[in-house]
Amino acid sequence: MTASLGSTVASTGQERGARARRGADLIVKSNLLLVFLALCVVATLLAPQFLTGRNIANLLQQSSLTGIVAIGMTMVVLTAGIDLSVGSVAAFGGMTVALLMGSGVPVLPAILLSMVAGAAFGAIMGGMSAYLSLPSFMTTLAGLTAVRGLTYLLTDGKPAESGGPEGFQLLGGGFIGYVPIVGIIFVAITVLAALVLRGTTFGEYVYAVGSNKEAARLSGLPVRGVITTVFAVSGALAALAGVLLTSRLTVGQPTAFNGLELDAIAAVVLGGTNLFGGRGGVFGTFVAVLLLSVLRNLCNLLGLGSFFQMVVTGLILLVALVLNMLIERRGARA
Amino acid sequence: MTGTAERLHMAGIVKRFPGTVALDGVELSVRPGEVHCLLGENGAGKSTLMKILAGSYQPEEGTILLDGQPFRPATPHAGLAAGIAVIYQELDLLPDLTVAQNLLLGRAPHLGPFVRHGRRARLAREALDRVGATFPVTARVRDLPIAAQQLTAIAKALTADARVIVMDEPSATLGESELTAVFEVIRSLTAEGRSVIFISHRMDEVMEIGDRATVLRDGRTAGVFDLASTGPDEIVAAMIGEAGELVSATDRAAPGGEPLLSVERVHVPGLLDVRGIEVRPGEVVGLAGLGGAGRTTLLRALFGDLKAQVVARLDGRPLKVAGPAAAVRAGLALVPESRKEQGLMLGLSVSRNAAISALGRPPWVLPGRLGRRLTSPALADLGVKAAGPGQLVGQLSGGNQQKVVLAKWITRGGIRVLLLDEPTRGLDVGAKADLYRQVRHLADQGVAVLLASSELNELTANADRIQVLYEGRNVARFDPRVSPESVIAHTVITGAAP
Repeated sequence: MTASLGSTVASTGQERGARARRGADLIVKSNLLLVFLALCVVATLLAPQFLTGRNIANLLQQSSLTGIVAIGMTMVVLTAGIDLSVGSVAAFGGMTVALLMGSGVPVLPAILLSMVAGAAFGAIMGGMSAYLSLPSFMTTLAGLTAVRGLTYLLTDGKPAESGGPEGFQLLGGGFIGYVPIVGIIFVAITVLAALVLRGTTFGEYVYAVGSNKEAARLSGLPVRGVITTVFAVSGALAALAGVLLTSRLTVGQPTAFNGLELDAIAAVVLGGTNLFGGRGGVFGTFVAVLLLSVLRNLCNLLGLGSFFQMVVTGLILLVALVLNMLIERRGARA
Repeated sequence: MTGTAERLHMAGIVKRFPGTVALDGVELSVRPGEVHCLLGENGAGKSTLMKILAGSYQPEEGTILLDGQPFRPATPHAGLAAGIAVIYQELDLLPDLTVAQNLLLGRAPHLGPFVRHGRRARLAREALDRVGATFPVTARVRDLPIAAQQLTAIAKALTADARVIVMDEPSATLGESELTAVFEVIRSLTAEGRSVIFISHRMDEVMEIGDRATVLRDGRTAGVFDLASTGPDEIVAAMIGEAGELVSATDRAAPGGEPLLSVERVHVPGLLDVRGIEVRPGEVVGLAGLGGAGRTTLLRALFGDLKAQVVARLDGRPLKVAGPAAAVRAGLALVPESRKEQGLMLGLSVSRNAAISALGRPPWVLPGRLGRRLTSPALADLGVKAAGPGQLVGQLSGGNQQKVVLAKWITRGGIRVLLLDEPTRGLDVGAKADLYRQVRHLADQGVAVLLASSELNELTANADRIQVLYEGRNVARFDPRVSPESVIAHTVITGAAP
């Protein structure tokens, strides 16, 4: 009982509890990975064309945009917030980049400006939530509507020709070998986000704020700044997703990304990030995005319609939630 | 006192909690139609005794007779069914429902699946009339003034045809005129032959409403008094007891020199108006007072955690604190009242909790490794017992959790002023002593300490000076080496300086 932290001797009961919890955590994480791998095996067996370079490339191409948004969403959810506006912000980003380039702005500034606009939207909604103590559910719900409206107002609802150089189109639609460039961007953003969350003071603050906002505040942490920042990051990443879509389609679509927020939240939750904040991470989200995408892909390959896909996706989410709850309960008892 | 004439008789009640004996053979007897006051300092055992009566706690030993019948409620529901109604300080009403809905919660008159609104309103009206309340039964509880809420809670307690009604410090939230209304109700209840157990800290109220009083001290019955023939001083003396065993920790030299923290005035309209508190480096100044006297408010105001006019100097320079973050930068550190809700991130590890305030400066990277390196000296010095720095802080004992809160500030470094709000709440005796040793150790390094506690003996044992707060003002200042604890306690209870 008297083992202090200075020594390596440990009190057995507490250690067992900690070990059980670590074990439970590991099960949650590897569970998802195992399910993912199992699904891949099943997919390969059921549909021989699943494990072809072209199909995998397509799969990555399709899931990357949602994935990029889900990474931003993960950071928001870790602070116990939620960002419902990502779909509208992504559409806005896609439109602005097209309009900017259409009016002669070079590629890089156009992309950056779009992302800054997305970040600004995020900062406004997150800032209102943080400084006025409004639920982010409400501020971003307002944002969902308002930003979508703004997006339509840009061109009166019509698509915008981007007319950018060929290099711009490669960004969203190009491949290096079989690997889509958007996939590389998705992976890079995931790694970067993981480094920020696990390897910087800011990341530590994100977990602290999500774990106990009041204690974080009384510990002298810039709680409001942290919340505003994660929403800005989420907005910027959403805008980036919009930019990448415009790049692939060569036009900005004001109607794009309807319902994106739900796909992103689904991936975050399936990835094991706690909706009440403080627990989880981007690798879970990464795997979850791929898992949902493989599921969809498999349904496609088997010729099952999108209606069927929706049912399966919903069921998978439910199972994941129940599983997480069971494991959590087990951990709490230990 | 004849046995048959007693409504309630509790004898030899013993209740132990891990590491402490809360009740050690308490006696309490209440007659029908009596207002019986239950008195005692914080921690004397009043709440524990009432929880046993209500069925929330089970005693280890002792007997309870209710109207001569053995009575051992196993659950609060059983207590209620037997006619014991407890009105807690935090009223257990649902604020968004109407008065009528609250009064007949779970017992609404119905016809099949449909609520009979008219009948419910009538029943609720009758219940409100019984306590002399005139507000409409359709009012939302949230919209009612606190006295009306109190009356609603009383009316609710009465709908269950209570034989014994326990009121836990109803006056803490009531104003003068509202209290008069509640007293009216109490008198009419006792006129019907019901018994009321009235818990309060305020002697004037006790003398006004009470018939008899039982004083608890350190888990024992210290005396039973007939209030018609007893003066308040006698009762206060019983509450305080022999203030003999002054712990010897106070024989150190009082720190001299210029004050490090000098509070000219802290003003929160309607709540707090404190003037002239000074703390020298190395000095521990205790803040004594009853619940609601303003100790927590004062500390929160100094820490920038609530809107207040603060005129204070730190090290001779004006102290301007816009919020907790600014306070921390200025060298203030707060160990808040509730370590679980305000002090710790329970879902994070020991080292992450202890490091969190120290990370706000370069290098900004690798907080995990940095945190472990930064926190290990403080955690080892404080003797935090944990399986390792990676253990979740929520799994530690209360004493160790509180040490992690301290470790957070020690790890950050640069503390000039340490504000402690009830730091030993819920800790056992050994953990308390340990914590105070660490606080003293910090003070010896030149930190100015403001220590708020409702445990007067802890203050006299650990503080160099004691400021007594009463209803938002600091009414007296004591040197615990000179003033006996009983004198300080008298001021704490009555607000009158000796």
